[in-house]
Amino acid sequence: MLQLHELTKSYDGKSTVTALAGITLSIAPGEMVAIMGPSGSGKSTLLNLMGGLDVPTSGRVLVGGKDLARESEKERSLFRRSHVSYIFQAYHLMPTLRVRQNVALPLHLAGVPAGEAAGKVERVLFEVGLEHRGDHLPDELSGGERQRVAIARALVTDAPLLLADEPTGNLDSARGREILALLRSIHRQRGTTIVMVTHDPEAASACDRLIRLRDGRLEDDGGAAGGGR
Amino acid sequence: MRFLLSTLSLSYARRNLAKTVLTLLGVVVGVTTFSSIKTAQDALVKGIGSTVDRVAGKAQLQVSMEGGVPEEVQERLRSIPGIRATSPVIEQIVVPEKGELGSLMVIGVDLLGDREMRDYGFEGEDADLDDPLLFLAQPDSALFTRDFAKRGGLAVGTSLSLKLPTGVRKVTARGLMSPKGFAEAFGGNLMVVDVYAAQELFGRGRRFDRIDVRLDEGVSVARGTALLEEALGPAYRVETPARRGEQMERLVANFTAGFNVSSAFALSIGIFLIFNAFNVAVNRRRRDIGTLRALGGTPRQVQALFLAEALALGVLGGVLGCLAGTAFSQGLLQGMGKSTEAVYGISGSGVVELTPGVALQSILLGIAASLAGAWGPALAASRIPPTEAFAKGAFQARAPGRAAPRLAAGAGLLVAALLLALFSPFGGNQLVFSVLLAGGLGLVLLIGPLSRAVLLALAPPLSRLFPSSGPLCSDALLGNPRRSSGTIMAMALSLTFVLGLGGYMGSTKKTLERWMDDALTCDLFVRASANFSRPDFLYPGELRQEILQIPGVRAVESYRAIRPIYRGRQILVGSIELSPVMDRIKYQFVEGDERSMLEGVTRKGMVAVTENFLTRFGLGVGDQVELMTPGGMVRFPIAAVMRDYSSDQGAVFMDRALFLKHWKDDRVDIYDVSVHPGTDPKQTREAIRERLAGRYPALISTRAEFKEEIGKAIDAFYAVMRITVVLALGVAFLGIATSLLISVAERTREIGILKALGAVPQQVARSIVLEALVLALAGLLLALPAGNLFAVFMEGPVARAFTGWSMPHRYPWDVLGQLLIALPLVSALAAWLPARQAARIKVTEAIEYE
Repeated sequence: MLQLHELTKSYDGKSTVTALAGITLSIAPGEMVAIMGPSGSGKSTLLNLMGGLDVPTSGRVLVGGKDLARESEKERSLFRRSHVSYIFQAYHLMPTLRVRQNVALPLHLAGVPAGEAAGKVERVLFEVGLEHRGDHLPDELSGGERQRVAIARALVTDAPLLLADEPTGNLDSARGREILALLRSIHRQRGTTIVMVTHDPEAASACDRLIRLRDGRLEDDGGAAGGGR
Repeated sequence: MRFLLSTLSLSYARRNLAKTVLTLLGVVVGVTTFSSIKTAQDALVKGIGSTVDRVAGKAQLQVSMEGGVPEEVQERLRSIPGIRATSPVIEQIVVPEKGELGSLMVIGVDLLGDREMRDYGFEGEDADLDDPLLFLAQPDSALFTRDFAKRGGLAVGTSLSLKLPTGVRKVTARGLMSPKGFAEAFGGNLMVVDVYAAQELFGRGRRFDRIDVRLDEGVSVARGTALLEEALGPAYRVETPARRGEQMERLVANFTAGFNVSSAFALSIGIFLIFNAFNVAVNRRRRDIGTLRALGGTPRQVQALFLAEALALGVLGGVLGCLAGTAFSQGLLQGMGKSTEAVYGISGSGVVELTPGVALQSILLGIAASLAGAWGPALAASRIPPTEAFAKGAFQARAPGRAAPRLAAGAGLLVAALLLALFSPFGGNQLVFSVLLAGGLGLVLLIGPLSRAVLLALAPPLSRLFPSSGPLCSDALLGNPRRSSGTIMAMALSLTFVLGLGGYMGSTKKTLERWMDDALTCDLFVRASANFSRPDFLYPGELRQEILQIPGVRAVESYRAIRPIYRGRQILVGSIELSPVMDRIKYQFVEGDERSMLEGVTRKGMVAVTENFLTRFGLGVGDQVELMTPGGMVRFPIAAVMRDYSSDQGAVFMDRALFLKHWKDDRVDIYDVSVHPGTDPKQTREAIRERLAGRYPALISTRAEFKEEIGKAIDAFYAVMRITVVLALGVAFLGIATSLLISVAERTREIGILKALGAVPQQVARSIVLEALVLALAGLLLALPAGNLFAVFMEGPVARAFTGWSMPHRYPWDVLGQLLIALPLVSALAAWLPARQAARIKVTEAIEYE
């Protein structure tokens, strides 16, 4: 599904900062992987490279056989549209759009006809348990509900790879557990490959595999995270 | 895209209504300026053409001559084969005592013979001329259009008071015309009188303004023209009404073209307001952009979204601007009409109407301005990497683009503009627009980096002078270089325009005042008409002797001016008794000298020409100027070239004896009267008034009064330009207000944190006001050299191209002084609302603000 080969990422400023230094790993289809590490260890950078939101300084990012590091900005956008979906810690919902419109957004970007999009939106809203909240604005929802909208938006394109950046970071423990359970159920029912960056050991324990990063290097890979519990 | 527009964009606009309205105003103001000027220009030119056309009726040709066509010519015309009918005409604009009725066009015709030429609409049920013989028998008889009669409360038999050169005169309505054809000329403000009564009313002597000619069936216009020219000789102008209208339209269009500069400025300032607003919108919505990109939105989709918003704003702004422009254009039309009447003696009653052409142009301009303003920010939005879009503050903190290439390109364009201005291969509008385009683009490119340099230079003194609010203000301005430079750009462009145009107007006025001091040296000016260009009454020549005999009068000179068309331009040919004039006027000579002028002009039958005549036509001392006289073409050798501002199209001056010899017309426009030393000119004025009372109109001014009147005429000429200067300041005000409102919204979180750290509301408000003052100051500092360059360009190449004059450059200190007073007030006023908004921000809400 996903292969990273000798991946490095550094930022040039007054002094060069190395965020990732030679990461090599692969993730098989249908895996649910947690990436953990202290702040500044390069977790989010790694996730951004996996989804083609950023390009590496060197190395290769192979997703479904395609090297995202060599693709143009446009190609990466088009690839994301069909192969990758995101969940963010801060939800990143459009505050001015209603729930239904937020979920439909990636379909409209892909030019899916309105009728077809509406059907898909209703299905995923039902899947995440928000079918009654379709006409609400994000401001009118709780944190847990907002994250559910973000998950619905990630599911609506049926992308095989779901990248989640601290999906429970803004939630209390009860809401966090609910979201993890939802992600776990999606993983089981749809077979979606999920890569989740987290600080939370409980969230990590919901995954099949745990990757640990420190100072931009792979510290530990493969330790069973307790997935399936 | 439709989904994104109707959801994302529309809801953003709704949530940020004030900002959206301000952005829209940028387009509206620009388009309003364009459309009001364009509509007024079109209406003026069309009104003139249409009046000429309608008044001409069925006439195919019109015969005219400088100074008027002698009565006997009509007889000669009648004997020419192929002529079906001829009809003499006198045309004059008068003002009714009831000023609200507007100017009235008086047409003097021979009513009995004129039916062949014009349709008066008396036939059928509308028959409303009781007795044509009574009409002719009574010298106060007049016909009015039904529309005018209705507005003036006139019926057949009632009278209307008119302000005529000879005083207030009553005319009696003897008939009413139906509103069709001829009666629709001059917007229906038409009065028909007997041509011989008009001769007397308007001092035409035994001359007509022109004779209208209708040809026999089967005689072509070309054949008719040839027949008439052959019979009358070259002194007479034989032309079709359409051509006469075109000539007038050309003259007026030349004058009104100057206003295009104002349009261009208003639009470019509007572009910067839009640029600013979109820049900020991109900044505000960077997280949304990041989300769109993360969800698979391509860079092009993001750019297209912002451009689609700009397109919508452009269409809406274009439509609103077009409607507002039409509303304003009526006032503008009146202003322009007064100027063209004062300057060229050409009037027409244009009716303001929004033509599809102007509407389309306005909307397209609105769209173009909006897209041009939004293009850069939209491109920047599309280039934001999603990871950067999600990072807090990263986008705001981004430094502006690289300065060196911009500075080089800007300097290059500015140099190109200077070279074009100095060594232009073309003149007129092409010159103005090419130089303004290159110079304007150069300025725009330079202002970005330079404004940052100015802000950096101002930061230390600001911190010293205002220890608490100074650094806050500098941080805010330097922290968002795009917004700051966008506002400073709009500000600097407005002020460049104000300083340049103000400087040019000031320089022109000072130059003319100095010239008047040198040239207008007699004690009293006796004239029959208030209008310098189109006198509505001329004195008989023999009146000079009569005035000379009045006690206290030492000398009298008779000034007469005609305005023939010379190589496509309406020049002035002036004549006066030159020997005594040379004793009291010190001319500045460009070629030749006082002696050559005195000898040549008074003794050798030569003429003097003005500096702008030399510039325009390339004729100076040693050359000859060919002028058409009643006796035919005469070549006049040029004895001297002098600096003179009597006509912006060029002037030829000759001794009165020479004029009388060739033109055989002794009528006089103005008598220049000098009094004996020790005599009070005002007493002499009274004596002259008494002598002329009841016989001739007499507007008698002292030297000071006469100069003041000319000064007022100059002011009237620039009145419309002054409005555009005010408009530019208004746009600058709008720019600062928009920028500050956005700045406050942008920094809500930062302001909240400051307040949490102990900043009091007054401190916050002061920093916003200070921000406005610094923006204005930075704009002014950059506009000082740019405005000066613009003024030099207007005074030199533009003035030379349009008038042939070169105005000496004077730095517009007076305008600068006014700006130094007005700008802080305008800026503080613009900052009032944003400062209040900032001071009221609640800490708890602000620190949660994203």
